[in-house]
Amino acid sequence: MTSRMLKPWLFLLPALIIYLTVIFVPAVYTFFLSFFSWNGVAPHKEFVGLGNYAELFTQDTVFMRALKNNLFWMIGSLTLIMGAGLGLALLLNKKLKGRIFFRGVFYFPYVLSGIVVATGWTWLYNPTQGFVNKMLALLGLESWQHAWLAEPDIALYAVFAAAMWQGIGQPMVLFLAGLQSIPHDPYEAALIDGAKPYQSFFYITLPLLRETFVIVVATTLIASMKVYDIIYGMTGGGPAESTQVLSSWMYSQTFKFANIGMGSAIAFILVLVSMTIIIPYVYYTTRKSYV
Amino acid sequence: MKKWVALLASVLLVVTGAVGCSSDAGQQSQEGSSSGSPKVSISLWTLNTGWAWLQSAVKDFESANPDIDVELTQYEVDPFKENLKVAASSKTLPDMWFTWGGSLGSFYPENGMTMDLTQVAKDHKWSEKYNKTAIDMSTFNGKISGIPMHLNVLGMWYPKELYQKLNLKAPSKFADFESQLKTLKDNGVTPLAFGSKGGWHTMRLTEQLLEHFAGPELHDKLNNLEASWNDPAVVKTFEKIKEYTDKGYFPMGYSSLDPSEAEMLFYQQSAGIINEGTWFDGNITENGFDPAKFDVFNFPTEQTPTRASVFAEMLQINGASDPAKQEAAIKLGEYLTSVEVVNKYINDYGSPATLGFTVSEKTPHIQPLLDSAKNGGFLITDQALPQEVVQKLFEAQDKVALNEWTPQQAAENMENAVSAYKSKQK
Repeated sequence: MTSRMLKPWLFLLPALIIYLTVIFVPAVYTFFLSFFSWNGVAPHKEFVGLGNYAELFTQDTVFMRALKNNLFWMIGSLTLIMGAGLGLALLLNKKLKGRIFFRGVFYFPYVLSGIVVATGWTWLYNPTQGFVNKMLALLGLESWQHAWLAEPDIALYAVFAAAMWQGIGQPMVLFLAGLQSIPHDPYEAALIDGAKPYQSFFYITLPLLRETFVIVVATTLIASMKVYDIIYGMTGGGPAESTQVLSSWMYSQTFKFANIGMGSAIAFILVLVSMTIIIPYVYYTTRKSYV
Repeated sequence: MKKWVALLASVLLVVTGAVGCSSDAGQQSQEGSSSGSPKVSISLWTLNTGWAWLQSAVKDFESANPDIDVELTQYEVDPFKENLKVAASSKTLPDMWFTWGGSLGSFYPENGMTMDLTQVAKDHKWSEKYNKTAIDMSTFNGKISGIPMHLNVLGMWYPKELYQKLNLKAPSKFADFESQLKTLKDNGVTPLAFGSKGGWHTMRLTEQLLEHFAGPELHDKLNNLEASWNDPAVVKTFEKIKEYTDKGYFPMGYSSLDPSEAEMLFYQQSAGIINEGTWFDGNITENGFDPAKFDVFNFPTEQTPTRASVFAEMLQINGASDPAKQEAAIKLGEYLTSVEVVNKYINDYGSPATLGFTVSEKTPHIQPLLDSAKNGGFLITDQALPQEVVQKLFEAQDKVALNEWTPQQAAENMENAVSAYKSKQK
């Protein structure tokens, strides 16, 4: 009896050790560091309690903007990227010539690194030489021209458009897999009963895609909270810190200004916000199942 | 059956561990076999743009010193700054690295990460080899912490042909300078080639305006955090940034334009004036243009003494490296800054901190720029100020240009940032 109980733990032990040393301990240490003022190399750390958190919420205007930008990114990702991904998946799920080609075309950007996408799109947006402004001029719409990455009201949305182009592939592929796992029988039954296409979509497709939605929503939320490289590559957080997100501001605090405590506090807040949204969602949605 | 599977897994685990151990043993024996003629390998990090000559110089050094291997890594400016900080906090700094003076370079010696070169400087008679100002700017808390490499001076560069065409001459009065901006604009040329992504390019204009409005004494006090930044001179400075933005004197979208893109506008002569330093002859040549077709003037601050923005660049050595590596790094650093190497690569080297070098006709602007700093210089702002305050200055520049802050608000926020920094230091 005793040896039988021990066996699972023995087999889990290597993975558990790796998890604890690589993820759990650093995470706890980061939380610990968020109570100190430290530059990462000095022998002495000064304990400041909740001082770092207080400063972030009361004095650091960039932090509040970064948080707001992350929330926009989250909402935009859930609505636009997921919506477009689902739309493409529905289209590509039909029998269509060149289906494989189009799947490849839409999935390909997802494989590119954020910096590659950032470099390409930065050139598209170049105010004098970029494709976007030149195309607008060609169409006689000079008044619509903007310095897309240099106007605080527009820059974040311009970067988001690039991220959307890059990010659509993942939800598309996941939804496509989910759609292809739905049997034909319910649709045939609905057709016999006189259901219209949109009724089939809302009463059959969406409910049966529930598990896929759980995965897509969770991964999209996580990706939107930790977005960094495409923003860093396109704007560096500018102009006037208007496109900073929590990750980029955390990075600046930690490695540019050597404010380890502040950076750790931002990291902890980032995790806290992510978990606050994701854990209830996953818990709630996995309680029900139609399959 | 289950027992056999468990046993097999255990055996695999043990074998894997054993393989790991044996490969380590193999490496050790290999190191042992090469200990007959000890070879030292050192790592060196520098910038890449304008530093192409370095690879050739390093190869020369390795040929002359067969017992030393140099592992060279080169970066762009902002990634370089950040990678150094990352390496510092993870204790993986290279054996030697390039850095700037002021607060950019002081982080490493102030935290005990650099080798103290004070005695080396005496033994090797650096005062006879390097410019005194450059040595002073490589000294932190009384210790010489870097091998001086460059002593840079900044100025306003312009294309001669464009100025001749518009019948313009280098301005000596601030009003003339502004008049020229208007003339350039009226003739379809973007007057000021600045790219504010990263903030430091526009800062070079901001600091000149500040020297003009504040004067040398107050400017120095501001940089030493001994005077309030909420001062009329600071407000006027930001007012000019806003005025020049509103009048279209900067490139479209310049607050997110990379400085290297602004540089391209300058070469194409679609932008008129750029603020660059003594290295810029090399950049011009590297990009396929002729330095003789450009000229440079001091920003007309109308102040006495007339000062230029200056900064030193140096090679710092890892205080935690093996003594053998440190010795090899000193040898390499002194070689790269020796008068022989400087003269060999003078066309690309930039402005040497080394004494006694021969000026090249292909870098015609180094001497005039160095001369412009003879009456004095002020340390460039992103090295004079603490980095948190520098960042706030960059933010203020952008926000004023983009109508998010008034110049008055910008000055207030600068003072808030200074106060916050000071309170943390106590």
